[in-house]
Amino acid sequence: MTNGEAKRAVTLTIDGTEITVPQGTRVIEAAERVGVVVPRYCYHPGIPTRPAQCRMCLVEVEGRPKLEPSCTLQAQDEMVVHTASDTAEKARQSVIEFLLVNHPLDCPICDAAGQCMLQDYAYVTNQLESRLNEPKQVMGRDRVADDILYFADRCIICTRCVRFMRDVAEDDALIVAQRGHKAYIDTFPGRELDNPFQGNIVDVCPVGALVHEDFVFKARSWDMDATTSICPGCTTGCNVTIDTKENQIVRLKPRYNPDVNSYWMCDHGRKHLVMTNRGVRAEVPMVSVDGALQPTDWERALDHVADLVDDASGANGAAIVSANASNEDLLLLLPLLGRLDVSSIVFRVPTGETAALPTVPKLQLRADRVANAYGLELLGAERVEELPALAEGAPLVVLDDLLEGADESFGATASPFIYLGTRLPAAARNADAVLPIATFAEMDGTFTNFEGRVQRFHQALTPPGLARPGWMVLSRLLARLGEGDPLSDIGAAFDRVAGTSEPYAGLTWDSIGLKGALVSGAGATAASMGSGS
Amino acid sequence: MSRKIHPSVVGAQPFQLTARETFDGPIFETPEGKERLEMALSRYPQKQAALLPMLHFVQEKKGWIEPDDMAQVAEALDLTPAYVHSIATFYTMYNKHPVGRHLVQVCTNISCHLNKGEEVLERFLAETGARQGEISDDGEFTVIEAECLGACGFATVVQVNDRYFEDVTPEKVADIVAELRSTAVGTEGGS
Repeated sequence: MTNGEAKRAVTLTIDGTEITVPQGTRVIEAAERVGVVVPRYCYHPGIPTRPAQCRMCLVEVEGRPKLEPSCTLQAQDEMVVHTASDTAEKARQSVIEFLLVNHPLDCPICDAAGQCMLQDYAYVTNQLESRLNEPKQVMGRDRVADDILYFADRCIICTRCVRFMRDVAEDDALIVAQRGHKAYIDTFPGRELDNPFQGNIVDVCPVGALVHEDFVFKARSWDMDATTSICPGCTTGCNVTIDTKENQIVRLKPRYNPDVNSYWMCDHGRKHLVMTNRGVRAEVPMVSVDGALQPTDWERALDHVADLVDDASGANGAAIVSANASNEDLLLLLPLLGRLDVSSIVFRVPTGETAALPTVPKLQLRADRVANAYGLELLGAERVEELPALAEGAPLVVLDDLLEGADESFGATASPFIYLGTRLPAAARNADAVLPIATFAEMDGTFTNFEGRVQRFHQALTPPGLARPGWMVLSRLLARLGEGDPLSDIGAAFDRVAGTSEPYAGLTWDSIGLKGALVSGAGATAASMGSGS
Repeated sequence: MSRKIHPSVVGAQPFQLTARETFDGPIFETPEGKERLEMALSRYPQKQAALLPMLHFVQEKKGWIEPDDMAQVAEALDLTPAYVHSIATFYTMYNKHPVGRHLVQVCTNISCHLNKGEEVLERFLAETGARQGEISDDGEFTVIEAECLGACGFATVVQVNDRYFEDVTPEKVADIVAELRSTAVGTEGGS
């Protein structure tokens, strides 16, 4: 096919609305453009194979004797499609009735209830009574991976999971066993899935058949709040939705972004973030009184720190920042470091093994297991392997680095030693002041991923105790030092980033949107960063 | 082998049960296994196409196919074990559990049902002493219920390994079982 042909457009009518789409577009996708979502089970936009086997997306096409599956039907000129004609609806109702023949209807204990496509369509087709007189077939439950359970009774054999593993992950380890009403999803006997991207089979499951074990019975879908965010598990920066309940992260779901992660994310990311629920947090500002940290309030703590900064005199100070710090946090730290005459800003990056999803080149679990390594470098921080040696009497500022590998007296001779952190490691006890800050999940902000795409994340949780976002705390501290007004709006904080750092020039919080934006010069720098190996 | 089968279809026919043996070592390292694999591969442009013949070959020899056999077939044909598992379970004529020396399949579909197929099945179970789907205590019989065997004009139809018994009535079952007990596997059709 030449380019000219590829660009040819066809015009068709779907439910009375005329729409022009490129040739080759399937009717189910053309319908979405006019706002019509044709019911579907086996079709998934991210999975290339379309077996048209669920028969849910059958539509009526004028002039054709039989209903056609809209997921494989190509749009053609002058085609007139009715997605909800009586014939199509009746066919759909029959499909649902067949699917419900052996379905246990255990919605009250099913984790998918509330976001289940079978539940939705069964409700829409309004079949309240079953015509089945026989007892239902019971198939039971199985484990397909160390953290994924399979409820065979709920399964409708749409084979999305099988096709994800085979056609997207290219790991043909999940199959349909048996056939007909006995069919179920299975792995080879005695083996389980072992793929770094296997969690996606749970996401593509349109019903409650595949469930993450750590999510089973944990939350009803209507009890959870969903927040648009970014996975901090590695420098890829997969777009995700954080589902929270009672101020705890319950699970992560990938969010579609064709420029980053498509529809998928890796298992490391999923598990990594749920782990952030754990551990004891720094919740109260503390200042050192006679060598011991004493809790205080924000006003006194910030006044105290401002005094410390004013009194600081030592040279060759150091700043250690967490590679998970947001762009705004680091940007607002810079004027403070300027006042302290600190020019060395370093961060450390934990690394791990990489993993790639073969059919989505950009989506990799990258070696750098942090969210913002590239963003910190753009703002002038330097990546190091070891904690820096500290000059005696020099200022030391730590932004949420857990000071792993530091001995107990780390920073004891620094003057002043200011610790802004989400937690309170042993070495932070030597600080002159501890300011509790929020994790990325507890605030708004931006990360810049491996290729220089700046992406927004939003507040999903309430910070514990008196902890507040780092950029908010720092802006108030700077106001006390006579550097700008206090900030309470993330848009204004990002404007400072855009106004200060050349690569971000011209970007605004709104223009980044929910899909992110490439910083200027991103391509060249990203190439030198490598693709994560 | 006792029967003459044209070499081009060896392994392509269902239920050529010749023995209840085990393989002497890895399947495709035995001379017979090598020969049958090469023969099958020579007939198809792709290795995958030899999957069904190879599963038949295993079943011919052992009477059933266990997961380890599937894994060996998968390796020989560059497929994943899971895929072979899916194919083997899709087809009902591959036995996924051990069966007795005689696999008795009694049709109970419409025509046979109208001609006392259910009763024939009951009699087979009673005469052999086996429970449905399980091997009788003497190791001789496995009796299962089958869907249409494609010989509705001669209901009730009973298939024992490769051989069809037609127009079977409950009264004939005892004689058939007695005959089978005295017959070596692989020669049901011949004696």
